[in-house]
Amino acid sequence: MRIEEFRDMIYACGRCNFCRGIDFNERCPEIFTQTWESSTARGRMAIARGILEGKLDYSEEMAERIFGCFMCGRCREECKKAAQIDVIDITKAMRADFIEQGVKIPEGGSKMADTAISSGNIFADTPEIHTKWAEGLEFVEGSGTLFYPGCLASHRFKEKTNILVQVLQAAGYELDFLGHDQTCCGTPLWVTGKIKNAKRWAQDYLQKLQDRGVKEIITPCPSCFRAFDEEYPVLLGLDKFPIRVRHTSEILEEIVEQKKLKFKISINKRVTYHDPCEIGRYKGIYEPARKVFAALPGIEFIEMSRNKADAFCCGGGGAVKLMYEDYSNAVAKERIQDFIQTGADVLITICPACEMNLTHGTYAADIEARVLDVAELMAVAAGIVDPEILETDYFPED
Amino acid sequence: MVDVAKITRLLGEIVPPKRVSDRDFDLIPYSRDLSPARQKMPTHVVIPESKEEIQGILKIANQENVPVYIRGGGTSHWDAYLAQEPGIMLDMSRMNKIININERDLVVTVQPNCTWAKLDRELRKHGLTYLCSEAGGPAMTVGGSVMKAGSGPHSTAKFGFHGNQDVVTLEMVLPNGDVVQTGSAAWPSAGKFERQCLGPDLGGMFIGAEGILGICTELTMRIRPASDFKERLVAVMPSLDSVVEFGHFINRHVGDEYLQGTYLWVDPNTPDVFLFMMDIFGYEEEIIEHRKKKLIEKVKELGGQLGDRAPADDYFGRILTGLTDLFNTGVWHFFGAGTLRIDDIQFMYDVWRRELIEKRGYRKAGFGGQILPRRWLAFMVTNYREPGEWDELVKMAHEIDKIILAGPVIPYGIGGRDGLRNIVASHDTGYYRLLKTLKRTLDPKNILQRGIFIPQEELH
Repeated sequence: MRIEEFRDMIYACGRCNFCRGIDFNERCPEIFTQTWESSTARGRMAIARGILEGKLDYSEEMAERIFGCFMCGRCREECKKAAQIDVIDITKAMRADFIEQGVKIPEGGSKMADTAISSGNIFADTPEIHTKWAEGLEFVEGSGTLFYPGCLASHRFKEKTNILVQVLQAAGYELDFLGHDQTCCGTPLWVTGKIKNAKRWAQDYLQKLQDRGVKEIITPCPSCFRAFDEEYPVLLGLDKFPIRVRHTSEILEEIVEQKKLKFKISINKRVTYHDPCEIGRYKGIYEPARKVFAALPGIEFIEMSRNKADAFCCGGGGAVKLMYEDYSNAVAKERIQDFIQTGADVLITICPACEMNLTHGTYAADIEARVLDVAELMAVAAGIVDPEILETDYFPED
Repeated sequence: MVDVAKITRLLGEIVPPKRVSDRDFDLIPYSRDLSPARQKMPTHVVIPESKEEIQGILKIANQENVPVYIRGGGTSHWDAYLAQEPGIMLDMSRMNKIININERDLVVTVQPNCTWAKLDRELRKHGLTYLCSEAGGPAMTVGGSVMKAGSGPHSTAKFGFHGNQDVVTLEMVLPNGDVVQTGSAAWPSAGKFERQCLGPDLGGMFIGAEGILGICTELTMRIRPASDFKERLVAVMPSLDSVVEFGHFINRHVGDEYLQGTYLWVDPNTPDVFLFMMDIFGYEEEIIEHRKKKLIEKVKELGGQLGDRAPADDYFGRILTGLTDLFNTGVWHFFGAGTLRIDDIQFMYDVWRRELIEKRGYRKAGFGGQILPRRWLAFMVTNYREPGEWDELVKMAHEIDKIILAGPVIPYGIGGRDGLRNIVASHDTGYYRLLKTLKRTLDPKNILQRGIFIPQEELH
């Protein structure tokens, strides 16, 4: 069993319950949706210990507790104070154990992984549809700097992705793009426990990137960012991924700090910011977006009550969206309440999954509000796109 | 034998079925607490949201003769809330509301699973505080603390254990399902403002009973204005005699103690170094300055040395949010713990030093204590690795408990078969006989917390 590797960590759980938080479910989106102690990190360590000791078996019924985890890392953040248990790695190992023991996992998870393998992306898009967002843009093949949007930004956010690339190119970045050769990064595979498929996927992808002469990857998707930067080295047994990987948060910050664009158009909005889990708690990237807000004219920035390392998940993590959609939407709706409390006009984030889920959250909460990417604010302020995209009555064509 | 399917069905008629589980993976998180107590699995877990639901659950339990156990934050240190026999575990998580903050009467009414951290966060919005004394971080619940008569290093020097003075009224569901109130709440037209009225103090009967006489569904506690001024001291005292004299000094002005809380810590690798962390009490800056001056003078007079206050800031500051690196060297166990007279701290210290360090060469357990008005709560605490070091640790802790409790120390926390209940039962005191009589009377089928505090056979 893969959890054997984490035996010491599992036994290190002192059962203090720091992970759950002071108000029952204000930290963990899983207990927020599933109620049971078995949904918390402390509960999962008890389950893992029971499995190690032969007192419990993985079962289809148990899958909801393991695959219903949003992998937001809030519990892991709290456990840094107590026992430094890597709850996320243990959860991934448990998911992999499900697969390797032949225990059925939620259908949505299986389908997502199978679709990614068979079609190259999680939406089963044809290459033509998957690259439609890039219409009108020009890329420089062989520039060495690859723009890698990932599945969600390609499929769901064609306009946002197009605007992001306009911003990057206006700031002087010479971007390459894989075009029809772009496939999923492989996150759906390891997040659903399909480690063998994931290894093969990572090997092939690295080869493809090296054959193209890619020296650096820029991606707006925190999952893709972590895939190349963190997961590939583990899967391939490398100390470090041989290609530099940067999330767009770092690039947008660089544009502001190095004054690569001039921001003359006033935004005239109160904005708040949702910290994506996979760049926030996972990578400690909290400040770039805030620095951008400070540099743009006409922005009044208001923090959400739960922010940075304490931010509540958007509901889009851990592939829960595809496996337990109701749970995902309930968490998104809860996060939208944080947004409403700020009184801000616009909700900003910098992750396609968060943008999608929080947009769904606005529907669930029955409010009209735009959920925008940091790059869209920059594009407006730099005069690249019309300010109408900030308005609640604006509907992008995608 | 518990008919699991039947009980599941019956419980599902009282609470929505989604709040009842008999699945092994849902049960196993309730099989351990913070202590090294052996794993004990309940047959069911149910999450009630009201006293009416609890009444219904107890009715089923009595009808079917299935014991009921109570789970708050799940952080008991002595096997006090684990299912000693197959039975129903009440997960009280959802009963965690703050019902009313009464700024005029300076009382707050909460449901039992409100955590201290949540309560303090809300009170401070009103410039108020409870001055929580628990050190268990964000999980410790008000109801759990009061039902065990719990304590900690913060505020106890001034205000004592929870229950000493601050519990005003309780709402309890008795084992037969009857709902009762204590204190002034027992007179419904009066309100919740006073503990001792209308005959005997029946609130005291439930405080410290570890849930064997009733399930707490609501508490009203005294609150007080938060102090705007914070002063802390750290001192190293040269001897245990100086520690004792300092303890008397702090307690001399009973009712107007200098300190809000104080924490004595002796590291097993430096057993002659007595570290004191002190949180000074007072509402006026002048009073705090005066007390600080007097405390510093006393420390110096006793040959102590003052140090950097940063460790005390860190320690007291994190009591509610979580102490850092708790389990870096293994999980926790408190043992050899109890309350004793100020002068008797020498006894416990001697046992700790002789039995652990000198005889057993065990240098992983520190010695600690908190001064309360006119007494200590002292303890030994260690970190150990599960499961490899479990046998040795449990054997040693049991030996120390027996030695300590044969002396001038009253046990702190009784618990189940892996706690101190057998030691307590072996002391055939009038107090214990009265407790058994109360238990037989209120809970003739021994439904509630069966096997906790009083072994089943003691009730025959």
